Amino acid sequence: MSAWLDFAIEHLPYVLQGVPTTLGLWVSAITIGAILGLVLAWARIYGNRPIYLIATIYVEIFRGTPMLVQMLFIYLGLPEIGIVFDPLTAAIIAIGLNTAAYQAEYLRGAVRSVPTGQMTAARALGMGRFQGFVNIILPQALRRVIPQWSNEAILELKYTSIAYAIGVTEITARAEKIGYETFQFFEVFLLIAAIYVVMTSVVAQLLLLLEKKVSVPGL
Amino acid sequence: MLLRVENIHKSYGAVEILKGVSFDMAPGQSKVIMGPSGTGKSTLLRCVNHLTPPDQGRIFVEGEELTAKNLNSMRQKVAFVFQDFNLFTHLRTVENVAIGPRKLRGFGKKAALDLAYKELERVGLSDRADAYPAELSGGQQQRASIARALAMEPKLILFDEPTSALDPELTGEVVSVMNKLASEGMTMLVVSHEIGFARKAADEVIFMEGGKIIEQGPPSQLFEAPQQERTRAFLNVIEHGGDE
Repeated sequence: MSAWLDFAIEHLPYVLQGVPTTLGLWVSAITIGAILGLVLAWARIYGNRPIYLIATIYVEIFRGTPMLVQMLFIYLGLPEIGIVFDPLTAAIIAIGLNTAAYQAEYLRGAVRSVPTGQMTAARALGMGRFQGFVNIILPQALRRVIPQWSNEAILELKYTSIAYAIGVTEITARAEKIGYETFQFFEVFLLIAAIYVVMTSVVAQLLLLLEKKVSVPGL
Repeated sequence: MLLRVENIHKSYGAVEILKGVSFDMAPGQSKVIMGPSGTGKSTLLRCVNHLTPPDQGRIFVEGEELTAKNLNSMRQKVAFVFQDFNLFTHLRTVENVAIGPRKLRGFGKKAALDLAYKELERVGLSDRADAYPAELSGGQQQRASIARALAMEPKLILFDEPTSALDPELTGEVVSVMNKLASEGMTMLVVSHEIGFARKAADEVIFMEGGKIIEQGPPSQLFEAPQQERTRAFLNVIEHGGDE
């Protein structure tokens, strides 16, 4: 144990330098996912037939293929047709596009769970459908979606690790590098596992606080 | 005329719910629509502000025809009070009342809240302004939803069975608010079996059955000397505690 602690203390600074990359990748990707997810959810609920179909096909494709394949396609495949991204950008896009499909589905479920009388009352006041969605439905749906959304956010935080496959030097890539330099793979992966647990626990607690803070009786 | 309802027809599938209903309302009038359940009363009320668009027929408010284009602005003149209240769950009572003026009438935040407090006072709910709908009793929720309607300063309020989701001991507080509004000159079209309200506050009672108006007239005439056999039979049922 103390040998591991010595190892951990020695290599921690190098691994921790990857934390900003991991967190930056994560925050950018889930933000893209939240915005795009909102648009997709809107399209799947209120869109006319073609818009609904486009959104549905999007969701099916991005849920139906591995994220690693999507990431490799964006980083290695797209340059063949002249679209080139650096590794970090490619990873942000891949994870963002992927999580958008899931976030859209969670949000769609939450919107559907808001009683129809809420929109009817908004329309009866004189709000348009979009106004009713933004002012009445969305604030309720967002509150309802927080538990599922927290799961998704934590999942994506761990998924940032696959960006190592296209050369982003986030913490998993750094751990692997230390592993090959020291041949202490056991110790180094235990170390980053601990770092992931700390990060996900902090995020889970923050989201729980948020859930409590915005909770409303009867919702 | 404030409201003109002209030859409204509505079908659901093969079933014709409304078979050509017409009537007018002058400013300040209160009318109560009664009739057996399933007879199209609520559908008619929802047709008036196009929550349920009619298949045929026209609605005029202050002479202007209600169309798909002017729907949202016309609905600000014609408020709606629902049977099951439909208060916005995520908003405090005062915010429920303020949101209409704030988002639809161009009020600033402060002005909208001031108006909301004023309307809550009108329905006797000032002390519950900060509560969420789930923390209110049914009668309080319905009074809050009346305040929400009032805050739009509408020309006409439609009430869709405003007391039928309430326990009997809670209907009184809602009916007394409605009485007060009627006496203040609010134009009200009410689907309800509250005979007490109809007698006291209504200028006219409309009796409907089978998607048509069977009989209409002042409450004294309709209740004391109904002309139609169907009206008599229906009144007999509600006055003697049938399930209507």
